Amino acid sequence: MSKAFVSSGRSSLISLAVACAFCVLLGRLFYLHVWDQDTLLEYVEGNRKMVNVVEARRGNIVDTRGNLLATTRTSYNIGVDPQAVLDSDLEKLPELARILGKPLSEIEEKIARKTRKVSEDSKEVRLIRWAVLAKEVDEATHDAIKALGFRAVYGNQSHSRAYPAGQLAAHVLGYVNKEETPVTGVERFFDYYLRGQDGWRETERDGKRHELAQYREREVEPTDGLNLELSIDQMVQHIVEAEITRLAQEYEPKGISVIVSQPTTGAVLAMANYPSYDPNEFYNTKKYPIGSQRNRALTDVFEPGSTFKIVPAAAALNEGLVHADDMFQTGVKRVSYKGRTLSLPDDHRIYESLSVHDIVMKSSNRGAAHLGLLLGEQRLHDYAAAFGFGETTGCDLGGEITGTLHAPRNWDGLTITRLPMGHAVSATPMQVHSAMSVIANHGVLMEPMMAKRVFDANGQDVIRFKPKAKRRVISTEVAHSVASMLADVVGDQGTARRAAIDNYDVAGKTGTTQKIVNGRYSRQHHVASFSGFFPAENPSLVITVVVDDPQSNGVGYGGAVAAPAFRNIAEACIAYLGIRPARSDASFVNLQPSIYDRSSRISN
Amino acid sequence: MYPGERLRFDIINPLCIFLLCSIGLLFIYSAQISYDGGHWKRQLFFILVGVGSYTTISAVNYKLILQYAHFIYIAGIFGLLLTMPFSPISVDQMGARRWIDVGIRIQPTEGAKIGTLIMAASILARSEIGTVKDSLLVLTKVAAVFLLPMLLIFLQPDLGSSLVFPPMIFALLYVSRLSEKFFLSAFAAFAIALAVLGVDLYGYSQHLEAQREAKNTGSSEVISDYQSLLPIHNYQRNRILTFVAPDVVDPTGTGASWNANQAKISAATGGWSGKGYLKGTQAQLGYLPQAVAHNDFIFSVIAEETGFLGSAFVVGLFCLMVANGIRIAGLARDRFGMQLAIGVSILFLVHFFINIGMTIGITPITGLPLPFLSYGGSFVLSCFILQGLVQSVYRYRKDFS
Repeated sequence: MSKAFVSSGRSSLISLAVACAFCVLLGRLFYLHVWDQDTLLEYVEGNRKMVNVVEARRGNIVDTRGNLLATTRTSYNIGVDPQAVLDSDLEKLPELARILGKPLSEIEEKIARKTRKVSEDSKEVRLIRWAVLAKEVDEATHDAIKALGFRAVYGNQSHSRAYPAGQLAAHVLGYVNKEETPVTGVERFFDYYLRGQDGWRETERDGKRHELAQYREREVEPTDGLNLELSIDQMVQHIVEAEITRLAQEYEPKGISVIVSQPTTGAVLAMANYPSYDPNEFYNTKKYPIGSQRNRALTDVFEPGSTFKIVPAAAALNEGLVHADDMFQTGVKRVSYKGRTLSLPDDHRIYESLSVHDIVMKSSNRGAAHLGLLLGEQRLHDYAAAFGFGETTGCDLGGEITGTLHAPRNWDGLTITRLPMGHAVSATPMQVHSAMSVIANHGVLMEPMMAKRVFDANGQDVIRFKPKAKRRVISTEVAHSVASMLADVVGDQGTARRAAIDNYDVAGKTGTTQKIVNGRYSRQHHVASFSGFFPAENPSLVITVVVDDPQSNGVGYGGAVAAPAFRNIAEACIAYLGIRPARSDASFVNLQPSIYDRSSRISN
Repeated sequence: MYPGERLRFDIINPLCIFLLCSIGLLFIYSAQISYDGGHWKRQLFFILVGVGSYTTISAVNYKLILQYAHFIYIAGIFGLLLTMPFSPISVDQMGARRWIDVGIRIQPTEGAKIGTLIMAASILARSEIGTVKDSLLVLTKVAAVFLLPMLLIFLQPDLGSSLVFPPMIFALLYVSRLSEKFFLSAFAAFAIALAVLGVDLYGYSQHLEAQREAKNTGSSEVISDYQSLLPIHNYQRNRILTFVAPDVVDPTGTGASWNANQAKISAATGGWSGKGYLKGTQAQLGYLPQAVAHNDFIFSVIAEETGFLGSAFVVGLFCLMVANGIRIAGLARDRFGMQLAIGVSILFLVHFFINIGMTIGITPITGLPLPFLSYGGSFVLSCFILQGLVQSVYRYRKDFS
């Protein structure tokens, strides 16, 4: 065949053009499909793959009786991806509707509607990838839906930390902030156990960056956090906080700290401060100024004053320097010590002579000074340190400070006479409480214990915390001897008569210190404290009450302000905890029933 | 007439068309599966109508068409006039008037393309042309014939469609034995036009830069619109820039160059043999915009789901079809038939090269659809009619036996 109308040259040029087009396209396709595929694939994977973190549920915090103090509320928003619904799923719809408690027609409608318009009058349609079926459903409902095996229907989890008891034990619990960071309290200290391990899942997303549930792969389930059981008893805590509220109303103090613990184990049953805050609303600094979040029992120091007198008394007895009945000349104002004449501190009432027992009972400053002089600087310091002054108590809350106990070489000339009465030393309420616990615990210093155990979802122990003895400070006999002196403090002759409880031997010591205002001891501003335990022979509870700057007519003595608070708390605890009196007494049966009755316990 | 003449039938092109249409249907379905689009059914309807037209036209002797070339051409131009803003049945969609609405939507551009091809072929067939000087009158006629519809389409505006005219006409002129000088000067003119466009685009890119600067610095100074003598729109400039320098027009790759990027990715992720039918993710998940996945970017879907082998097969089919068209042109024993077959073949070549080229990033993005594969009634129909003409040329040629 000849090519009549197309010259062969021109014809082949056109054919060449076709061939060129073919080769260019093919070459480019080969380049994209095969040659350059890896780089582009990587890019695409990066576009489409996404890793979602599945948050672990933070563990609960419960009190010693299992009452919930802090918990994580898990809720789910249940929705459906209409694009991913399979025909085989449709028969599950009635069951789904039943679980969600929604009319079947509503769910069917949502599944049937697969697209929506971008806007009212727009022509462009978008795929619906997520249609909400139910909001904030609980975990059980979510599990039931999951059990259906309906891949297109899934829930998005959200967690929120909640403190069901509100302000109760706020300082002990602390809180978790909005960034999921535990800020204070046991939330922070035991975060390692509570937080759990976040899970993750790899999934894909579409061009609009919505998750495509049907492409979920490699789901790593989160490991939920463990639960924490505190030694705190919600009821005791409540008793204490109710008493604090009463004190705060009556005396309008700057601050109050109360600690209740078991002497033999160091287990803290209650720890509370005024002012306090609600951890559910930690961010509301208008309602709860940021200072309210301070756990004053651990972070604020005061001069312990007379409560410190147990240190020189116990030390002198333990060293065998004195007997309980040895008399001291407390009438003289000046003594000679190491070739110097020292003036002794004043007492508000001067006794000519007092026995060691009476020094403690009457809270004689001069008597205490005598004991200090007998001990000498080094021993006095060492015993104070042994009682736990100048070091943290090791309380499991963090933020604790050491207070101040100067080394003897830094003492000035007066310290030897002022330290025994609790001046020239600063301590936290917790340190004073610990020191008192040494007497109550037969001479052994315990580490305060906030947590009893860490347990898993089945209630099985993961860790059980044991009471920890730090050291023996004084002999058992000396401890008992001092305890009996302290018991008389609360007796008719003592300074803390208002701490006395019918039928119970209460032992304790008041403290009243002038606050240093503008560099001087002030006569208007005091810190009133009482630290004590009962029953005196075989103590069940140690309670310390510290009231900072109570506003009252006259001096805010520890005996007048703090001791009654001690008694109120102790009485309520006796009724609640069923503490038996040391003396069997028929009148026990007539004990006034307390409002803090077991039957009225808060429960949840 | 001789015995057996009526039995003559080219089987290659119908086979290619059948395969391409089937592939088109399958992948229009695939492109829309994720949101229940039903366009494949309508496409099937268009194809059936197209097959009818193909059969009819291939049964008609193309020489008959020669007699009515003027009417066909005038009808085509009239169709284009109907899209003008003054026409009551023109449809404005996204700023472009490319459709008319007469119960169903018709794109008159397709008709005008056929009309222009037939008209130009008939002019060239009737007159002898040799040197430029000799055939100046004929050239003027041809120029008028194709410039009018081109201008009307350009005004719609539809730059891509108007740009298919010059290659087609040049091919017709080329096979009409016009002197080499003409083509050299035409080539020079083309180069100059390209240079002018280049200057325009450079100015535009500077303008964009200034605009971005102003936005970044928060300057309240109003940057006026880009002024240029060339009558092209900014979105058209954007498209070309997207191809030449994507960083200038769309630094983040999420605006003007989004389609180009995603289309390229679609092709790349296919690999040797693709992800499998209905398993492509780019279109299914909406990375490839759903407005274009089933028409202009249908090749992306094919490339992704069938990989290199599948797309090479499609490219091969097109080449076979075009090459066969040129073969038929060579077989033709009169000028008109040869012109028709060449014109159709070049038209197809331009369409498939530019369309596939844009999905794999070697040509700028224009709105040119892919013959027989892309969704679109008017276009499918016009493809069938054009191929019907080629078949007619094949069947009614006079063999010297």
